[in-house]
Amino acid sequence: MNRKLVALFTFAKILRVLLFLLFLHFLLVGSGELVGYSREQVIFFYLTFVMIDTLSQLLFREVYRFRSLVVTGSLDGILLKPINPLVRVLLGGMDLMDLGILVLTIMAIIWWGNKFITHDPMLWLVYILMVVNGLVIAAAFHIFVLGFGILTTSVDHLIMVYRDLASLVRVPVNLYIEPIRSLLTFIIPLGIMATFPPQALMGLLSPQLIIISFFISGVLLTLSLWFWKKSLYSYQGASS
Amino acid sequence: MSKYLAIFSLSWQDEFVYRVNFILWRFRNVLGFFLAYFLWSGVFSINNQVFGYTKTEMISYIFLILITSSVVMSAPSADNIGGEIGNGNLSNYLLKPMGYLRYWFARDLASKCLNLTFSFFEIAVLYLLFRPDLQIGVIQLQPIGFLLAIIPAVLIYFFLSTASRTIAFWTPENTWGLAFLLMVLMDITSGRIFPLDVLPGILQQTLQFTPFPYLIYYPIAILLGKITGLELTRVLIQSLIWVGAMCFITRWLWQKGLKVYGCEGR
Repeated sequence: MNRKLVALFTFAKILRVLLFLLFLHFLLVGSGELVGYSREQVIFFYLTFVMIDTLSQLLFREVYRFRSLVVTGSLDGILLKPINPLVRVLLGGMDLMDLGILVLTIMAIIWWGNKFITHDPMLWLVYILMVVNGLVIAAAFHIFVLGFGILTTSVDHLIMVYRDLASLVRVPVNLYIEPIRSLLTFIIPLGIMATFPPQALMGLLSPQLIIISFFISGVLLTLSLWFWKKSLYSYQGASS
Repeated sequence: MSKYLAIFSLSWQDEFVYRVNFILWRFRNVLGFFLAYFLWSGVFSINNQVFGYTKTEMISYIFLILITSSVVMSAPSADNIGGEIGNGNLSNYLLKPMGYLRYWFARDLASKCLNLTFSFFEIAVLYLLFRPDLQIGVIQLQPIGFLLAIIPAVLIYFFLSTASRTIAFWTPENTWGLAFLLMVLMDITSGRIFPLDVLPGILQQTLQFTPFPYLIYYPIAILLGKITGLELTRVLIQSLIWVGAMCFITRWLWQKGLKVYGCEGR
């Protein structure tokens, strides 16, 4: 790929993260705290969100190209090949352009987390498990988008709706009032995806909630896989 | 003029062809509102005043972003001009008896009118949902100041996005990269996510020498009565200067670009 383009995109993404961090910093300098979280904790929430969001964009970039496969009928060729079509359309186009920002974000998380949150290795282990759990939720959402893409060909807007919904959890989900908080945590489990990992690191998550979060992500993934299978039955390959 | 009115009318009708896309676009705009609304509500749950704003003023600012960004930043030209230069479709328009940029401005106006209409509806629904206290100045004719500020804002945004897309004449593969960078800058520095008063004084002073605060922040600050008197006059004059500067830069880039335009892709 064009090196200038890669550099431009990477710079723009890093700038976006830095500018929002700057905003959070100035906001919390002025206000003191946010729903009981300190400045350092809020920034850690945001860094975790950036990591999960960047990782899901890196892994699932092929989803953004799925619409063209459906409308041109090229999906037929993928379905005929001896590879799981879901794996191909979900993970078949990893975008290494996000690798730079991912590495920087992980470094920032390790440094910031150790300096301001905790050194406890057990909590860090739970944090990593919750991040993986968050990625499972992100994968499930992307699979739903793929399924809708077959039924409606409306992938672009749906994936952007998902991204906009996900951006609501740039800050702790506790910020939102009920029933929005519960909706974002248990129904559209973006809160589990982005808020629970930092809360686990801060020791704020009970074992019961951790187990419930794994259960919810498992259910969501199962539903998404069922939906994908059902959608495939509707695929007609009319454009091929 | 009648041909541009016809373009406006056709663009207005065109927006209703892909209704689901339009509804999803409006839904996405409302989602952006939720983050800002709850973020500031959380901040004001333990503070009576932050950065010189009361809760009422800040929530009013958040609501006004919906209207202002609908008017200023909804512009299909931003998504299309670069692509049409890059794939050679610009040639079709150059042959027609109309100005290409005026064509897209007419289309932008249609989109803005439609988005503005729907944003009033969305504000009504959100107001009924949250019942916030709102404050909009009317005593000192702030709405007139707002209108005087929003017109240059529309023009600045159009020229800014068009100027950035002219890079397609030279490096069409880099168009989206520059557009993305501009979008990232505008999101934060225009006041679309938070009022620029949050930033330290030196940053605010620096930003006023860029076109970005004139897009969202200054029009809303005028309507809230935060900018009045001589300062209001200064801001309006500066916005007009930016309109002139961006118009000149855009025209210059456009003329330069047309000279190297090779109609690749056709």
